[in-house]
Amino acid sequence: MNTAVDLAGLRLRNPVMPASGCFGFGREYAEFYPLSCLGAVVTKAITGSGRRGNPTPRVTETDGGMLNSIGLANPGVDAVLCDELPWLRQQGVPIIANAAGSTVDEYCEVVDKLSRSGLVDAVELNVSCPNVETGGLSFGVDPDILCQLVTAVRPLCTVPLIVKLSPNTTDITAAAGAAAAAGADALSLINTLVGMAIDVKTRRPILARGVGGYSGPGIKPVALRMVYQTVKSVNIPVIGMGGIRTGIDAIEFIMAGAAAVSVGTANFTQPDACVVIVREIEEFMRQEGIGCLEEIRGCAL
Amino acid sequence: MRATLTLQVIRHQCIADGIYELTLDGRGLIDSVDPGQFLHILVGSGDVHVLRRPISIAEFDRGILRIVFRVVGAGTRWLSKQYEGALLDVLGPQGRGFPLPSSVSRGLIVGGGIGVPPLLELAKRLAHRGVELDVILGFPAKAHAFYSDEFASFGTVHMVTEDGSLGTQGIVTDVVRNLHAEHSLSWSHFFACGPHGMLAGLQTYFRDQDIDGYLSLEERMGCGLGACQGCVCETKGLLNRRVCTDGPVFNWREVVL
Ligand SMILES: Cc1cc2nc3c(=O)[nH]c(=O)nc-3n(C[C@H](O)[C@H](O)[C@H](O)COP(=O)(O)OP(=O)(O)OC[C@H]3O[C@@H](n4cnc5c(N)ncnc54)[C@H](O)[C@@H]3O)c2cc1C
Ligand SMILES: Cc1cc2nc3c(=O)[nH]c(=O)nc-3n(C[C@H](O)[C@H](O)[C@H](O)COP(=O)(O)O)c2cc1C
Ligand code: FES
Repeated sequence: MNTAVDLAGLRLRNPVMPASGCFGFGREYAEFYPLSCLGAVVTKAITGSGRRGNPTPRVTETDGGMLNSIGLANPGVDAVLCDELPWLRQQGVPIIANAAGSTVDEYCEVVDKLSRSGLVDAVELNVSCPNVETGGLSFGVDPDILCQLVTAVRPLCTVPLIVKLSPNTTDITAAAGAAAAAGADALSLINTLVGMAIDVKTRRPILARGVGGYSGPGIKPVALRMVYQTVKSVNIPVIGMGGIRTGIDAIEFIMAGAAAVSVGTANFTQPDACVVIVREIEEFMRQEGIGCLEEIRGCAL
Repeated sequence: MRATLTLQVIRHQCIADGIYELTLDGRGLIDSVDPGQFLHILVGSGDVHVLRRPISIAEFDRGILRIVFRVVGAGTRWLSKQYEGALLDVLGPQGRGFPLPSSVSRGLIVGGGIGVPPLLELAKRLAHRGVELDVILGFPAKAHAFYSDEFASFGTVHMVTEDGSLGTQGIVTDVVRNLHAEHSLSWSHFFACGPHGMLAGLQTYFRDQDIDGYLSLEERMGCGLGACQGCVCETKGLLNRRVCTDGPVFNWREVVL
């Protein structure tokens, strides 16, 4: 039995990777298991300069999952290259760096520095951040703006370029098509759905910012549907995520056509969630007599 | 490698209105605890509640831990129904607790409401070192008050309630001012845990004084491990600090409340 997968030229020992923002730069989870047990590690979003993020409260549990409004808090690309990635490089696991920015120039700067550093195996472009140039609309919601962004960073990116799509659009396949046409090597989806929770005693939203991104088990049916639709509409590999908690959840995404999967919120419930999921995928393959994941990928399409 | 721990509840007690104490068996699993550290506790199997709940360790004695919490929502309600024999899935001890500087000559301990528990282990450690302690414990009302007798074995306890049903009527900063200004007590260090307004009040009160102090902060948490940046507090430095791993205890001059 073989769990290895090929993702836009990257060879992963298994299809499971932590989702961006739910795993920091890996140090904290490396205390629980060797990161080399994972298919890859996806870093927290990296921006041009350091950001504090939004005011707190910026996380809370809610029905079927959680809300976050962290807001891309990170020390900035130079500090990440100097303090985080050299350590992560030693862990024997492919690194996918999540890149973000508020302007096309900022995205270009981050992608250029990451790809020149030789410290990352792929870049995941997080297009869910507000685009200050168009007045705060996310880069990911308008296919034309997305196409311009991907076109601008593409030549700077010497490693595989993954574009991470936002589910907060009417037609995710339009964004998927735009990213693919502009040269993305792979897509990942979904990022969080916009949601909110209200404290009825204080009569105010719980998150300081009012709204935040909804993740966790509650979003799985939506995420699975979007992966299914996207896989049907483009010819590049898709990393599926959204509410994955178990190996069976992961298998569902693979049957919907995902080449690999990311696990976010579940890391907070159980710090060893990703390795348990790998084990459960293997168990399922053994029980069902599946030799390699290619045998079931997209079988539900 | 680290792992989550399974601790058995060996005693369940309701100690005040809506306030519960659980005694947990951590023998062979937890060797030491710093006062102010917390446990990040899974609610149920984690299928419904995806985030753990941070609860301070109130006392630690040779592997046996006590936690005290107030029921405010689904997680703490579930926890209040874990009786003798129940097993809790916990991450911890987490965080940086109160330092125990050798220079403490006389200490002031200030606790407000559900901020009181983590100060018990601290009071015990300081008292065992022979430090003289003044302890001010504030609660909304007598029905919510707890642990005054536990603290009495470690220092001079001053109770204060908002409605005056126990001890002085008022808030903890009134008592600090009274002891300090009227009774000319002074302290080398203070240690505090409680609501945001109380901590901010102490910061303001001691602003111009030559005193060392530590505040234990509360913030909503995701991972509880330092990875998600959910629980940050603002400090005078350039980036935020994480309450779960850089704290929950911070130097009082460092944090912006
Ligand atoms: C370091 C630390 C130590 C703590 N120690 C204690 C203690 O010893 N005793 C005690 O009674 N309480 C303590 N708290 C507060 C306790 O964590 C919350 O009361 C608890 O998480 C509420 O959970 P719930 O499901 O009952 O409430 P809900 O309101 O249903 O919880 C919803 C979500 O909000 C979070 N949340 C709600 N209120 C708080 C809060 N005040 N602080 C942090 N997260 C919150 C929950 O964790 C959960 O994710 C501590 C908090 C921190 C950060
Ligand atoms: C606390 C938190 C922080 C996140 N930060 C990022 C981020 O920096 N960049 C990004 O592309 N996605 C970020 N995400 C989205 C996740 O990577 C993932 O797409 C989403 O949570 C859905 O997966 P899940 O249901 O398994 O959590 C974050 C999610 C959470 C919960
Ligand atoms: S709770 Fe995740 S960093 Fe503190």
